[in-house]
Amino acid sequence: MNILKLSVNGKSHEVLVKGDEMLSEVIRERIGLTGTKIGCEQGNCGACTVLVNDEPVLSCITPALRFDGAAVTTIEGISTDGRLHRLQKIFVEKGAVQCGFCTPGMVITALDFVNKTPTPTIDEIKESLSGNVCRCTGYKKIIEAVAEYAEGITNDQLPITNETSIVGKPRPYIEANKKVSGSAEYADDIRMKNTLHAKFLRSIYPHARIESIDTSQAEKLSGVRAVVTGQELPVRFGVLPVSNDETAMAIDKVRYIGEVIAAVAADTEDIAHAALKLIKVKYLPIQEFLTIEDSQKDTGLNERIHTETKFQNNIHKKAELRFGDQQKGMEESDVVSKMTFEFEGVTHAFTEPHAATAFWDENGLTIITATQVPHYLHRALAKVMEVPLNRVRVIKPYVGGGFGGKSDPFPHEMIISHLARKTGWPVKIRFTREEVFISNHGRHPSQMTVQLGAMRDGTLMVLDADIAIDGGAYGSFGVVTTYYNGVLLQAPYKLDNFGFKTCRVYTNKPQCGAMRGHGAVNSRFATESLIDDIAHRLQIDPVEIRLKNFLTPNTVTIGQYRITSNGSRESLMKVAKQSDWKNRHGKLEVGHGLGVGCGFFISGSALPIIWNELPQSVVHLKLDFDGRVLITSGASDIGQGSDTMLAMIVAEVLNIALDKIFVLAADTLITPVDMGSYSSRVTFMAGNAAKDAAEKLKIEILNAIAKAKDIAIEELNLCNERVFSNDKSIDVGWMEAIGILVSKRGAVNVIGKYISPKLGGDFKGAGAGLSPSYSFGACVAEVKVDTETGKVKILKIWGAHDCGKAINPLAVEGQLEGSWHMGIGQAISEEMKYYKGLIVNNNFLDYKIPTSMDTPDIATNIVETNDPEGPFGAKECGEGALHPILPAIANAIYDAVGVRITKLPIKPEDILNELKRTKQTEAAMTI
Amino acid sequence: MIAAKTYHKCQSVEEAIALALKHGEDFRYMAGGTDVIINKFQGNDETNCLIDISAIPELKQVSNDWNVLRIGSLVKLDDLKKHKTIADHFPALLEAAHSVASPMIRKTATIGGNILCENRCIFYNQSEWWREAVGYCLKCEGDVCIATGGKKNCFSKFVSDTAPVLICLDAQIEVFDTDGVKLIKLEDIYTGDGVNPRQLNPKAIVTAILLPLDKDYRCVFKKLRPRESVDYTSLTTAVSIDKKGRIKIALGGVDPGPVVAEGIGMSAIDSLILQVFKKARVIDNDFYTRPYRKEMIKVFLQRSFAELGNTNKQFDN
Ligand SMILES: Cc1cc2nc3c(=O)[nH]c(=O)nc-3n(C[C@H](O)[C@H](O)[C@H](O)COP(=O)(O)OP(=O)(O)OC[C@H]3O[C@@H](n4cnc5c(N)ncnc54)[C@H](O)[C@@H]3O)c2cc1C
Ligand code: SF4
Ligand code: FES
Ligand code: FES
Repeated sequence: MNILKLSVNGKSHEVLVKGDEMLSEVIRERIGLTGTKIGCEQGNCGACTVLVNDEPVLSCITPALRFDGAAVTTIEGISTDGRLHRLQKIFVEKGAVQCGFCTPGMVITALDFVNKTPTPTIDEIKESLSGNVCRCTGYKKIIEAVAEYAEGITNDQLPITNETSIVGKPRPYIEANKKVSGSAEYADDIRMKNTLHAKFLRSIYPHARIESIDTSQAEKLSGVRAVVTGQELPVRFGVLPVSNDETAMAIDKVRYIGEVIAAVAADTEDIAHAALKLIKVKYLPIQEFLTIEDSQKDTGLNERIHTETKFQNNIHKKAELRFGDQQKGMEESDVVSKMTFEFEGVTHAFTEPHAATAFWDENGLTIITATQVPHYLHRALAKVMEVPLNRVRVIKPYVGGGFGGKSDPFPHEMIISHLARKTGWPVKIRFTREEVFISNHGRHPSQMTVQLGAMRDGTLMVLDADIAIDGGAYGSFGVVTTYYNGVLLQAPYKLDNFGFKTCRVYTNKPQCGAMRGHGAVNSRFATESLIDDIAHRLQIDPVEIRLKNFLTPNTVTIGQYRITSNGSRESLMKVAKQSDWKNRHGKLEVGHGLGVGCGFFISGSALPIIWNELPQSVVHLKLDFDGRVLITSGASDIGQGSDTMLAMIVAEVLNIALDKIFVLAADTLITPVDMGSYSSRVTFMAGNAAKDAAEKLKIEILNAIAKAKDIAIEELNLCNERVFSNDKSIDVGWMEAIGILVSKRGAVNVIGKYISPKLGGDFKGAGAGLSPSYSFGACVAEVKVDTETGKVKILKIWGAHDCGKAINPLAVEGQLEGSWHMGIGQAISEEMKYYKGLIVNNNFLDYKIPTSMDTPDIATNIVETNDPEGPFGAKECGEGALHPILPAIANAIYDAVGVRITKLPIKPEDILNELKRTKQTEAAMTI
Repeated sequence: MIAAKTYHKCQSVEEAIALALKHGEDFRYMAGGTDVIINKFQGNDETNCLIDISAIPELKQVSNDWNVLRIGSLVKLDDLKKHKTIADHFPALLEAAHSVASPMIRKTATIGGNILCENRCIFYNQSEWWREAVGYCLKCEGDVCIATGGKKNCFSKFVSDTAPVLICLDAQIEVFDTDGVKLIKLEDIYTGDGVNPRQLNPKAIVTAILLPLDKDYRCVFKKLRPRESVDYTSLTTAVSIDKKGRIKIALGGVDPGPVVAEGIGMSAIDSLILQVFKKARVIDNDFYTRPYRKEMIKVFLQRSFAELGNTNKQFDN
């Protein structure tokens, strides 16, 4: 230990520091400034950037002792006297902050950059940020914010706190100031007294019986408070009731490399880590199943990954649905395109690693955890801990992104709850980046053969898909994924003959689940590639053929989805026009191409995951004497902006300013049940519930005034924070009105809810993909392909998405840009690489998220169709936008070099090989 | 988990070496530390003492005398461009330095550390748990190479991006060893053995990199990587021609060491390309496959020579 003197944000500190302590640890753990984030600990993500003597440093890879006597500035020191720095303000106003986890590092990096390069070009800005990972924004708004800061434009127009009609106006997140100044607390930032630290021993075999676990040595280590193993938590769980196939820790056998076998709670992480090495496990390996093919083969009971399935092999789920007459459709088609596709798995790669703290007190269990679904976690914890539902409280702090990756109840949440109960102390876990990758739950690796038939005039006649997906070791959302791959192909094109067969297999790999665009991204890619192929074969423009086949608004699909608002046509026309499609597609020089793709997605699953009679969303409003409206909602803001959305809706209905609204969300003790942030349901469902509540509250207010002033309620208006009668004879301000409302009554509480209408057919599987509304969209991509290296450079993206109505256009743009960015990743660089079941690229260096420099210029278009049932006409925008971008890129590659790649990610060498192959066939044909 | 119990910051080369001598083998010099600390984090480097040399003032200088440019080993990659002589004479070196890692890392990483950074392999640059699960390989106490499915040699990738350019520029390094100061040709410190890629006394300190200023090099640098920033190399190529028409090729990222070939005149190009192509022991331990990286060696070199040719017509013979 050495004494380290540091001045941090102007305050002197003297701390005892070990030789191996990194600066990030000293800042966060010893000095207690948690604005500096830890995303990777390996210099790959930039979240931990701080200034040391005015030079930026990655604090996670720099020993603290290097800086004895230095002046450190963290994000907390960037604002002065409680006022944001101008760059921070611009970040907030421009919507450069979503989950906010990358923001502190981003702000410091950008500040230093502009200091040294006062008049940067956009390319220089992109380059400067290229070591900072942002998974939410697609970088666009961050780059714009930095550019604006450098230009020195001050824009003081935006944060208008006293405006009352705000739906449809761009508006920064209500919590953005906290995030940009480093004071927003994420799960790993929560500090409780006497907290123990947990670490997990993970399996090193993909499939093996556990013969014995000896924890005796570990237990003896000084500072170790508890060592637990699977037997102690035998109750099974899983997000879907049909696949409760997981236990908190492995019992008897392990099913993937990385599965938790034992856990230690100790005074420090180091001690817990040391204790793990003292645990002895004896394994008896079982044959492992790592591919879809192998898992489809019949096996003995011993080799089955799960024995409770219906099949003699490792198939988890099979489904098949057929509509119309596919055979006839094929016969009537003049051209049928059939291709086989292959997709590697991808993962969410949110920047905030999983973290949680659990403790028990007289109220039972409380867990503060980075989750998208407090409600399902609440249920799962009660089940696994074997306590009544009323002894569990789940609190979601600020969450650094999810994209579906925080939407299952997780083993670590069960394990620390158990450790906390056993030791009597709070127990905390934070994952390393490697552990985040091991946990996965990402998009399923998939294989599919898809056929599409059309008549000569381009009318689509039939679609058939045969799909197999690799689920990994457990069920997760997989049964839903299995269906979504098929059912979500029945739109946006009119198809009278449509069917699919799909299956999900278990393999000995980390499990797959729901990820942005859930279920339909890969099969959408396939379909859009086939349409492109058919268009070329029929010599019809790929845009025209799509326009020709779109479903209309207010119709029903062959599988009985009720389509209401539908902006596919408008979306496609917009991107075609902006990209000058007509004049450029098919006409650019070799190696340069344009491609198009369309999309379709649910706007909230109409059915709850766990069948029950609760509304899907409930929102409470409380209005008390102080004139402030408290919104309590179970909806989980994970960076997508749902808290702001709720506030805006309530403000709009009551016509009051946002400063009179406070949102308290996602605490299962206090907030009413909301199913959570998945299936793109929050704006539609929680938004509707909030609107319902606000309308009720409005009536309460008007009623009170009507009664007090003896006037008919119909005569009264609530506008601009005043209640007034049509003839203005009555005109009271907000506070006065509230005074009247609460007099002799006290605070007023109202409840709003959303229950989706009964939808769909009554065949088996009819429930899959049912939604009260659907989103639509289109993208055009422009690419350059180097024909000697096969390298693809995406030059530009034009995207349009029908979100019904953009309640907050700034947030909608952010969702669209983030989706497109994520889609680019899956299209050309991201993949989960395994070696014998072991995830190889388990860090942000080897898992290739496009950097700011790999992200092209993006033209963002919001299309509004005013959905009849969405709140103010709104529907989803957070997932569906991802779908069209992947095929648009592949189709652009086809336009550029004439080869069709049917494997994602698209690798340069696949392009080269295809180019060589086509050259050979051409040569053979000319001979 | 970072294994280093003690930390020392030194103010002079002598102090650093004296400390090193005290610690036997159980220490690591750290310049920027951007390579060392990651290797420690993953448990690949288990030495118990960090000797931080980053504050030694005389290693941060850039000077030129006697037609030799002397770049102190502690000059940060991001600072190289601030020196006009480097920009004027060796733009390819700036390009190479600029291609390393990310902007933030280049503000800490040094050129000395870059030429000495550890070889990489996707089966080696992993956590201790991971390596146990895969069954340790040759580079970490195992018996076989996993990447090649059982070979008895390690083919971890040589990843320095500046080294190939420096080699093409005939760089020498100045080494302060326990027995005195020496000058060594840069390529001579690399062994081509993936387990022990450098033959340099671990206690020696590289004090400077020396580049001749009187040879009028033209040099072209290229790097293959999946993304435009952050990524390590999947193939680095450097080619140079000096005023006498001497041609040099150096590859990185495709062998445990730099792959070097030399010849005279543009007519030697094809055979030189073939030579390095054959020499490069590429294996499947990278984002890109072995055949692709092999193929790209030719594409990159042909392109590089085409670019050289365009600016160097006078040397054609
Ligand atoms: C995310 C990330 C991406 C990276 N990408 C790249 C890349 O694209 N290309 C690339 O080449 N590298 C890359 N690196 C590795 C590293 O950042 C660079 O190689 C860097 O130049 C190393 O310099 P350093 O000063 O930090 O070295 P250090 O880590 O301090 O040292 C590296 C090695 O050299 C020794 N050493 C350093 N200086 C001396 C000296 N003067 N005398 C004797 N021994 C010395 C050390 O003991 C150690 O063994 C990357 C690293 C990270 C974290
Ligand atoms: S090349 Fe082989 S021996 Fe060398 S690090 Fe990679 S797997 Fe290990
Ligand atoms: S946490 Fe430091 S770079 Fe990721
Ligand atoms: S806002 Fe950048 S990672 Fe979430």
